Amino acid sequence: MGVPAFFRWLSRKYASIIVHCLEEKSKECNGVRIPVDTSKPNPNEVEFDNLYLDMNGIIHPCTHPEDKAAPKNEDEMMVAIFEYIDRLFNIVRPRRVLYMAIDGVAPRAKMNQQRSRRFRASKEGAELTEEKAKMREEVIQRGGYLPPDEIKERFDSNCITPGTEFMDNLAQCLRYYVSERLSNDPGWTNITVILSDASVPGEGEHKIMDYIRRQRAQPHHDPNTHHCLCGADADLIMLGLATHEPNFTIIREEFKPNKPRPCALCGQMGHEIKDCQGAPREKQGEHDQFADTMPVSEQEFIFIRLCVLREYLEKELTMASLPFPFDFERSVDDWVFMCFFVGNDFLPHLPSLEIREGAIDRLVGIYKDVVHKTGGYLTHDGFVNLERVELIMQAVGVAEDNIFKKRKDDDEGFKRRMKEKKKRMKAERAPAYLTTGQFAPQALGGRNRPDAVHNARHQAFDMRMQHNQVPGPDPNPPPPPPLSQSLTRHVLWVCSGGPSGAQDARGVKRKAEDSDSEPEPEDNVRLWEDGWKQRYYKTKFDVDASDEDFKKKVVRSYVEGLCWVLRYYYQGCASWKWYFPFHYAPFASDFKDIKGMFSDFEKETKPFKPLEQLMGVFPAASGNFLPETWRELMSSPESSIIDFYPDDFAIDLNGKKYAWQGVALLPFVDERRLRAALADVYPDLSQEEVRRNSLGSDMLFVRKSHPLCDFIKELYLAESQEATEMPAELCHGIQGTLTLDGDPILPDKPVQSPIPLLRDIMTNSAIGAKFLDPQFAEDFVFKATVLPKAKMPAKVLKPGDWEAGNRGPWRPQLGFNSNRQQAHLNQSGFRALGHSMGRSQGGQYSNAPPPRNYQDSYRQQAYRGGSQPNYLCCWGGGGGEEEEEEEEERL
Amino acid sequence: MAEERRGEDIVSEYLGQNPHLAQWVESFRGYCETNKQWSARREFILRNMEAFPTIDPGVHSSSLDRLLSLSMVWANNVFLGCRYPQAVMVKIKDMGEGIVVEDVPVRTTRDEIVAKGKRNASSGNDGDSCVKKAKAGPNEGDGRPACQKQGPSPQAPAKHQPFFNRLYKAVAWKLVSAGGFGPNLDHHEILQSCVESCKQSLNCVFVPLKDIPDLPASRVQKEGQVCELRCSTVYMGTGYGRDESAARAMASKEALKTFQGHKVTVKICRRRYRGTDVEDVMLLDDQPRSQGFPPALSYPFLADSGEGGAS
Repeated sequence: MGVPAFFRWLSRKYASIIVHCLEEKSKECNGVRIPVDTSKPNPNEVEFDNLYLDMNGIIHPCTHPEDKAAPKNEDEMMVAIFEYIDRLFNIVRPRRVLYMAIDGVAPRAKMNQQRSRRFRASKEGAELTEEKAKMREEVIQRGGYLPPDEIKERFDSNCITPGTEFMDNLAQCLRYYVSERLSNDPGWTNITVILSDASVPGEGEHKIMDYIRRQRAQPHHDPNTHHCLCGADADLIMLGLATHEPNFTIIREEFKPNKPRPCALCGQMGHEIKDCQGAPREKQGEHDQFADTMPVSEQEFIFIRLCVLREYLEKELTMASLPFPFDFERSVDDWVFMCFFVGNDFLPHLPSLEIREGAIDRLVGIYKDVVHKTGGYLTHDGFVNLERVELIMQAVGVAEDNIFKKRKDDDEGFKRRMKEKKKRMKAERAPAYLTTGQFAPQALGGRNRPDAVHNARHQAFDMRMQHNQVPGPDPNPPPPPPLSQSLTRHVLWVCSGGPSGAQDARGVKRKAEDSDSEPEPEDNVRLWEDGWKQRYYKTKFDVDASDEDFKKKVVRSYVEGLCWVLRYYYQGCASWKWYFPFHYAPFASDFKDIKGMFSDFEKETKPFKPLEQLMGVFPAASGNFLPETWRELMSSPESSIIDFYPDDFAIDLNGKKYAWQGVALLPFVDERRLRAALADVYPDLSQEEVRRNSLGSDMLFVRKSHPLCDFIKELYLAESQEATEMPAELCHGIQGTLTLDGDPILPDKPVQSPIPLLRDIMTNSAIGAKFLDPQFAEDFVFKATVLPKAKMPAKVLKPGDWEAGNRGPWRPQLGFNSNRQQAHLNQSGFRALGHSMGRSQGGQYSNAPPPRNYQDSYRQQAYRGGSQPNYLCCWGGGGGEEEEEEEEERL
Repeated sequence: MAEERRGEDIVSEYLGQNPHLAQWVESFRGYCETNKQWSARREFILRNMEAFPTIDPGVHSSSLDRLLSLSMVWANNVFLGCRYPQAVMVKIKDMGEGIVVEDVPVRTTRDEIVAKGKRNASSGNDGDSCVKKAKAGPNEGDGRPACQKQGPSPQAPAKHQPFFNRLYKAVAWKLVSAGGFGPNLDHHEILQSCVESCKQSLNCVFVPLKDIPDLPASRVQKEGQVCELRCSTVYMGTGYGRDESAARAMASKEALKTFQGHKVTVKICRRRYRGTDVEDVMLLDDQPRSQGFPPALSYPFLADSGEGGAS
């Protein structure tokens, strides 16, 4: 979900949902790395059945990492991806299923966002290259040293889009990886691996959801399966809640804001590219033994326990004396639905609902008020009751005016505080040697000799206090602006005030310098002032407020959007074609008479083919991923779809500060014209491209020893052409149909390594076949309920009626296991500790640092050493938006 | 008004005579297009249809799609602020000649935002050697319907005068409360708050000094920015400064000077704009003017070239 702030908000409000991962590290012995045996019990004291990987969250950081040097070539990228999966596998240790899902072609509704990201990424990449080249030249001219520019193609992250060669290679590599691990890793022995690569339509996380939904709906499903889903997107939390599975955990990288990044030019830490000096590399450690380690701790992982979140929500949402029976599961669905108002990948968020401003709490408050009047829940199994939603929207609408005014107040307050802080910082930065009084620097031969110090103590006090004060106006005026008399005389309109003109210009200049604030982007909407609605529609949509028809159109589209998104989360993609055709959302107060605005979506829509989608989301600058004649359509004036591919586009900062936060005003794609234009160039595809453009299917792999293996082997032997139902009892109740693979992976058939770095698998033990989720009738409705035999996990939160006297003091639960063994030292341990730590310092909390791994303490040293003040600034950011540096969103 | 409407009237008259065409062309309207956007694009399509002789109304063909695509390029350029490769821009500039669009939204492209950010960061040292300068005014685009020989409607002054009378009062009160007009005010702040209190917005256009033609040849200054202020298309003032905020302050001061007289008047005046004489709607005080006007930096009036605007 396009709301990075959502996770932050959630984890602050519901702190107990987070459990830090324990990771067993592999050991090294005589230079040989001993892999961790993942068949051993999970050190996190919990056993997971299924691990789902939303692969795009893995591919992005592995191919263009932000905190370390980028891999040199595609092979290294693949290896990095393998290692990342290994690491996750080691932490989670699934026992039944590993599901890997790469984003395939997405529904049209997502295309706007994808376009905007790729158009931006392409421009940002080009700008970085340009800046690098420029800085490199400068640094070298100044005599600095830079490591030679490796001859490598700039990795265009846009290639992480279905249909590109890169994605095709990745799919091949993952097949190899799976067979390798199945054959050789003891932890994988009983695992069923499902690989859904980019040729299968659908976003990764939604393919995973579809799988879970369909398994749940078939009778053999184990209702107590423990799911673990890996990915950083906030919407995984919603998706997890939407399954109504009792055991659902999300694993993601721990988000640390303002992590230091290496300079893109010289690769050293501590400065940004624009400050690069080309200085020689500092030795890392006494003998430079840490040359290759970054002075940052390795990214750690956290679990997010949705069952704990459900407990919190239960406390918050439970309502007494309702006119209808309270059903917690239904209220969770409503909560999920309301979170969409605040933002999602498919709709712009409502202008009045900002997650930072507590929008969700506000919505929940309104919901609990209104639900008494609505007579029921807002949603049912992913279908929206618009009449009731209107009541919520109207209640938000009433508050809208005040929200905008308060936002303005808060904003001004924040700006004021930042300004003051800046002043303080500036004052602190004044050079320490600038003395005053008798010691003040004096001009040579000056007549005004300072008085001798009368009261030394007072003088010292004054000098000390000077640092705490904001410096007055600069005693030395800046040099007059380079505005010559002749200009002032001729360019009359500038300073028609005659000779005073030059004076004025100077005065203005000084003022501008003093305020040292960048010019604020103009805000012509001014939501905090009367008439905001008119101005908003005029500025954002270019229509007069009187144009009710247009306003209604926007609202209708938004209502459709809400229905589409909820359906997408609970039932799967209702329409591959639908999208929200505006750049902005309407106001909550505009949602009037929405009841009849939506009935159903167009049936039997089809997703784009991969190459078609590439044409839809790529800028012309990424055209190199497409065949030549296709590429031409993106740039030729004769092309009948040239309007999809602007070189440069407007960005509406929309109250934000940076270009990447603003709304990209990109034109929408006309599907009919796109298809028509492509029909002419389809014959130009090579055989290879035709293959890449076709829709693929999920693959299922098991090891030779798995009960399912013999069944699949039989299928291959019989060369059966039709799809065969999987026997549920062979594989933990998993259902689906199997089809033969054209180029199968079979036991004892060697698997060639697609990467020169890695060896072929000579003794292969894996077998693979095409896999298809269980199919249901088109009008089948997946029920959003807890399954009958599901056992709810034990409660974690402190019960509301806990009384200390009765059952002893409340002990909060930190991990998965409520009876976790507390670690303790025995007597000899204490003695040993006392001996090595030295008793002289003693005390219960001696200043021994907590035992962390070496790198961590190394980092702290680096900060303390503080040769580069940039580090300190990273730490120093206190409160406010500064530390809320936006989290990078994955594509 | 009548003159402004002319383009639209011709279109509706033409469609009235060809009802089959009206329905057909209506089918190209995008769902998200506003009336204003659509009527402009429809005019573009109808005007240029002759250039695509293979178009057969009622039948989809690739030449029709090409026309539609170019019409979208043109509309995206005018309304969304998109820019396309040079060859495409030249083409639509030609094709879009003479279509009247009132009150074109002002957009800032990504390149402009990025360039601005860089300039701020590197101001002081070699400011201009490394930066692509912002384009000369958001309305100047190779393809945006810039117009050299047209003018605003003759009724424009009458239309805008009441607003500026209100603004005159607002400024007067504001200046009283600020202690009178003088050099030590934040002129921009005052002007902006007055305009906003009258429920309008102040538009600033910045152009680097060196990009402006028509300057006195003897000037030595090459660096710096020039700012032009307009409020609902009416010109208010121009100012020069070392950077954008200084230029804006100076322009605001100039604009405020206009309000020092007994009244303000909206008039159509002749001035230079990018090398040619144009008619512009300007806010003037009651003083006789000794000098000519500074050249315009932007030109929000688009007029029908065929029928001849005011030139």
